[in-house]
Amino acid sequence: MSKEKEKLAVETLSLTKSYNGKAAVNHLSMQVRQGAIYGFIGRNGAGKSTTLKMLCGLAKPTEGEIRLFGKPAEDSYMARRLGCLIESTGLYPNMTARQNMMMKAKCMGLTDEKSVDRALASTGLSDTGSKKARYFSMGMKQRLGIGLALLGNPDLLILDEPINGLDPEGTREVRELLLALSQEGKTLIISSHILGELSKVATHYGIIKEGNLVEQIDRETLEGNCRDYFQIEVDDSKRALPLILEHAPQMQAEVMDDKIIRLYDLKDGAWLNHLLIENRVQVYSSGFHHMDLEEYFLNRMDNLAEGRKGGEEHV
Amino acid sequence: MFNLLCMDLYRIKRSKFAYVCFGCLLGVIFLSYLMVWLMATPKGQETALKLGMLPLNELEEGRALLAEADVLAMFRESGMDGGMYSLTFGVAVALLVCGDYQGGFMKNIMSLHRQRQVYIGSKLMAAGILNFLYLTLGFAFNMLMNQLFRHMVPASDWRATLFYLGWAWVLTTGFAALIILLCVLSRSTTIGVLGAVFGSSGLIVMLLHSITSQFHLGGWVEYTIYYNLTYGPSAYASVGDLRGVAVGLAFLALYSAASVVAVRKRDI
Repeated sequence: MSKEKEKLAVETLSLTKSYNGKAAVNHLSMQVRQGAIYGFIGRNGAGKSTTLKMLCGLAKPTEGEIRLFGKPAEDSYMARRLGCLIESTGLYPNMTARQNMMMKAKCMGLTDEKSVDRALASTGLSDTGSKKARYFSMGMKQRLGIGLALLGNPDLLILDEPINGLDPEGTREVRELLLALSQEGKTLIISSHILGELSKVATHYGIIKEGNLVEQIDRETLEGNCRDYFQIEVDDSKRALPLILEHAPQMQAEVMDDKIIRLYDLKDGAWLNHLLIENRVQVYSSGFHHMDLEEYFLNRMDNLAEGRKGGEEHV
Repeated sequence: MFNLLCMDLYRIKRSKFAYVCFGCLLGVIFLSYLMVWLMATPKGQETALKLGMLPLNELEEGRALLAEADVLAMFRESGMDGGMYSLTFGVAVALLVCGDYQGGFMKNIMSLHRQRQVYIGSKLMAAGILNFLYLTLGFAFNMLMNQLFRHMVPASDWRATLFYLGWAWVLTTGFAALIILLCVLSRSTTIGVLGAVFGSSGLIVMLLHSITSQFHLGGWVEYTIYYNLTYGPSAYASVGDLRGVAVGLAFLALYSAASVVAVRKRDI
């Protein structure tokens, strides 16, 4: 086995899951390095949860292989190195937070109840007392789900929408918890639709679309790709664009729609506004923007869709 | 498997359903003793007459009820033979298994135990333990009731009692395997409970028996859990009396194997 492979916490080889002959996950080959926080993003129905379910052993792959820490996922020891929270939190509603934790601890064969108390403390649920889980708020249930995933000190955490339903304070607490876990050397795979929040913690990203992993990218490369741009909204982009390119031929421009143009590598926008107004092009708004993960993701999705149609509109 | 069994026992200990079902069972035993006391004992008949519960011409008939009864016969009459025990125990098993699916805790279990047959094994063991507790404690309560009702019936032979409780345990654990199969297939408490109702009452068995009997093909009924539990022997006399054990073990193996296939095939 190569050293490169030894460093991978998760590796999938042509992983496929089909339902009635239709592939929900299609020959997905993903690599997650040990210690990484891997943001797994995609639209609803893209195949994120199905992939994560297969990693957690909840769904059986139709084809392909999963390797956890270099070993087949079927290895029972590997399952103990993994903690997961998939979709809604799996709880016994008539039991308290501690009783739910005890159930999981017993299921794992843990004998030290201190590990249960530690997991409760780390998720801020120590003082829920005899309150039954069915009376918990969504945020509390989510935190209990994370606590259950943390039980047994796993090396790999797979969290599907972990900040769903959390208030801003709860979101911040979970973010800090995830960063602390990462500093302990744990590997995290997080799927979330709240991309702004995900970008605060993720070190690597995987983008999935219609069951296909379209891109795996690390934070540095993503930041390089997420360039600053100057966005200008005019009455007619078809008139404005030739005018701009006539005065700055080396500038990279992207026409978003009939009215919006994005210009990259522009340092000063004042002359541009002046130029357009002078040439009787109406400018509704203009300003510098930084492309964030959300915009990058949406652009990537749009480009893929346009690429299929064969109608890319890049200049 | 033992980790899962520990988890199940922890849950049984802390859940209401196990106690409620057991309470129902004890309630039925108490009511049976009360009814027999009212119908068959002189003091009871006096009370029943005052309450208008017993017509004068049925006094002798009532006294005959106790002629051949003993503690074991009372236990069988109070719920075992009529299917009340199977119903109560079946409902408890359905709630035990379907609870894992309803709240989604199954995800936590299956992510840890990828060899899914272990799950079925632990559920069968938990059901077997619960069955043992229900049967033995139920029988102990039955004896206590006999004491309370001033030794209304004589004690039964201890060997006969052990023999009966033994084969009844095997048969009812086989019935639990059926309920586990229904729950694993449907993941629905309603289906599990309905399975317990129809299975324990013998409704389906009797319906099918009446149809197949039309074609002189009704012999199979002697190899069902319901028939053996209702008409099985109270004491060991010959090898033929072990048919209940054989039927129980066969269904236990069959339903367990089917449950393993079902739980391995379906995603969570």
